Amino acid sequence: MSKEKNSASKDAGAQAAEIAAAAVRKNTARRLRKKLKPGKILLYVLVGALLCFTAFPMIAMVCRAFMSLEDLFHYPPYIIVHHPTLGNFKDLFTSLSSSEVPFTRYIFNSLWVTIVTVFLSVFICSMGAYGMVKHKPIGAAVIFNIVVAALGFSSHVTKIPNYMVVSGLGLINSYAALIVPSIATAYNFFLVKQFCEQLPDSLLEAARIDGAKELRVFWTIAMPLLKPAWSTLAVFSFVSNWNDSFSPLVYITSDAMKTLPLALQTMAGGAGVVSRSGTTGAATLLTTAPTIIVYTIMRGRVMQTMTYSGIKS
Amino acid sequence: MGNNKTKKKGMTMRQRKTLEGLMFISPWIIGALLFFVYPILVSLRLSFSDLENVAGLKMSFNGLENYEYLIFTDTNYIANFLSSVKSTCLNTPIILVFSLIIAMLINRDIKGRGFFRTVFFLPVLLGTGYIMQQLLGTGAGDVVTNSVDGIVTGVLLKAVGATFAGYVQTFLSTITVVLWKSGVQIILFLAGLQGIGASLYEAARCDGATEWENFWKITLPIVSPIILLNFVYSMIDQFTDSSNAIISNINHAILDNAQLDIGAAMAWMYFAFTLVVCGIVLLVMRKLTFNIGER
Repeated sequence: MSKEKNSASKDAGAQAAEIAAAAVRKNTARRLRKKLKPGKILLYVLVGALLCFTAFPMIAMVCRAFMSLEDLFHYPPYIIVHHPTLGNFKDLFTSLSSSEVPFTRYIFNSLWVTIVTVFLSVFICSMGAYGMVKHKPIGAAVIFNIVVAALGFSSHVTKIPNYMVVSGLGLINSYAALIVPSIATAYNFFLVKQFCEQLPDSLLEAARIDGAKELRVFWTIAMPLLKPAWSTLAVFSFVSNWNDSFSPLVYITSDAMKTLPLALQTMAGGAGVVSRSGTTGAATLLTTAPTIIVYTIMRGRVMQTMTYSGIKS
Repeated sequence: MGNNKTKKKGMTMRQRKTLEGLMFISPWIIGALLFFVYPILVSLRLSFSDLENVAGLKMSFNGLENYEYLIFTDTNYIANFLSSVKSTCLNTPIILVFSLIIAMLINRDIKGRGFFRTVFFLPVLLGTGYIMQQLLGTGAGDVVTNSVDGIVTGVLLKAVGATFAGYVQTFLSTITVVLWKSGVQIILFLAGLQGIGASLYEAARCDGATEWENFWKITLPIVSPIILLNFVYSMIDQFTDSSNAIISNINHAILDNAQLDIGAAMAWMYFAFTLVVCGIVLLVMRKLTFNIGER
């Protein structure tokens, strides 16, 4: 807040100039709009076409979930549903309820694992990033650079050594096996770190002079200011953990501990089985729904952070 | 800890800061070392050893044998390696061009900009799901190609003949996959474009510059650092894409055949290559990019 005040008093002149510039911009925009009428239409057509291509698989996915067998086997294949039916969802739930473990158990597993992971990841990654940027401990930068360089490494190769670590800690077949390995992620750390560098030192210093302990400075001053960064982190963490069907496949052996994506995947028979592709479609739609909901809630912040962290790096 | 507290008074400012910083960062470092760095180091060791027993990861050092096997004996590896490199080299420039074009289009004075941004970014979120990847990948139930096939065979074939229809088909099915890979890049370009002041274009227009000249003389130089960033990002993204021939090769070796040692060698050779390529790109591109600050 004090930062805002500062800049306000300092840049009163600059602000006036900006307003003038904005007015000029508006003027030119208006002039342009008059000039470029046919260009404008072309622009909309072009963006619209590209949009269609991007949205295409999503539309196909949604439609597939509602297709009857007749539609699925039609040649040439339909994209848009012709005979809508809820049969796929019915099939899915029949095959789900016929298993020994109730369906709600999978939902609970997924929700619990994802939410705990997101919370811990937000906390630990923000704390680490804050500590590294604002305190600059010796040697941390080296580790960080190694981790960033290793981001390009194929994650599947490390799955087996990872499994050894997890089983060495005695975590196999527990929620912790799904939670602990995905907390300290390099990507998340990187995201917050970019944002941390913008934190004004003076603000933290002021809090320290007022007698706040380090943890309190972090929690009551840094965290609220870093909100866009860690909400983005939360979205990404949510998405990747919610969709992760590989870790439960490796770390979980009992049916009751499976997460939703893995359960749906095994029950729908996987993609590529044509006769069940309707069921797969229904399963996909169900698993992606929470992702889209979370994203729509957090949209503004995600955009802001993506924009920001990218430019700075 | 008590010991530290008594010491604290005698410490310099710098030492205390380091200590506090370490306190903040240590949970993350422990996690990263345990679940990220250590497994990578184990796989490095595996790549130079012969795996005797999968259960306890028992291995014995055998030098470069795994690498020699891959290069000289294995018939698939080199072929897969080359096809992955080829697809990366093809896709990266296409992704860059498309995302820049889209960003420039959305950056214009256009209605529903937020909506467009959301739709173009959504694939980033959806593309990570297993089932979605199956839908997009080159599996049997490939929705994209199938439906594009449908359109092409249904309409175009009759209208313009087989060869041209073939081109259109490849183009259409590539375009969707490319667009699905360029969500992040579009956002980054958009951010770069929004940073360019309108006054620059205004000045150029006063001097009689056309839109075309504006693009080459103003837009492109100013977004060039972002081009570099996106270049490296897309390249790594393409190299590590799970639909890649080499990645599926590695997965097959590790998960289906339990050849952890061979798989590790595959991954390390590939990773080293990726790093070198990225390094070269960074070095070359850095000379070509334009920085407002320096000049």
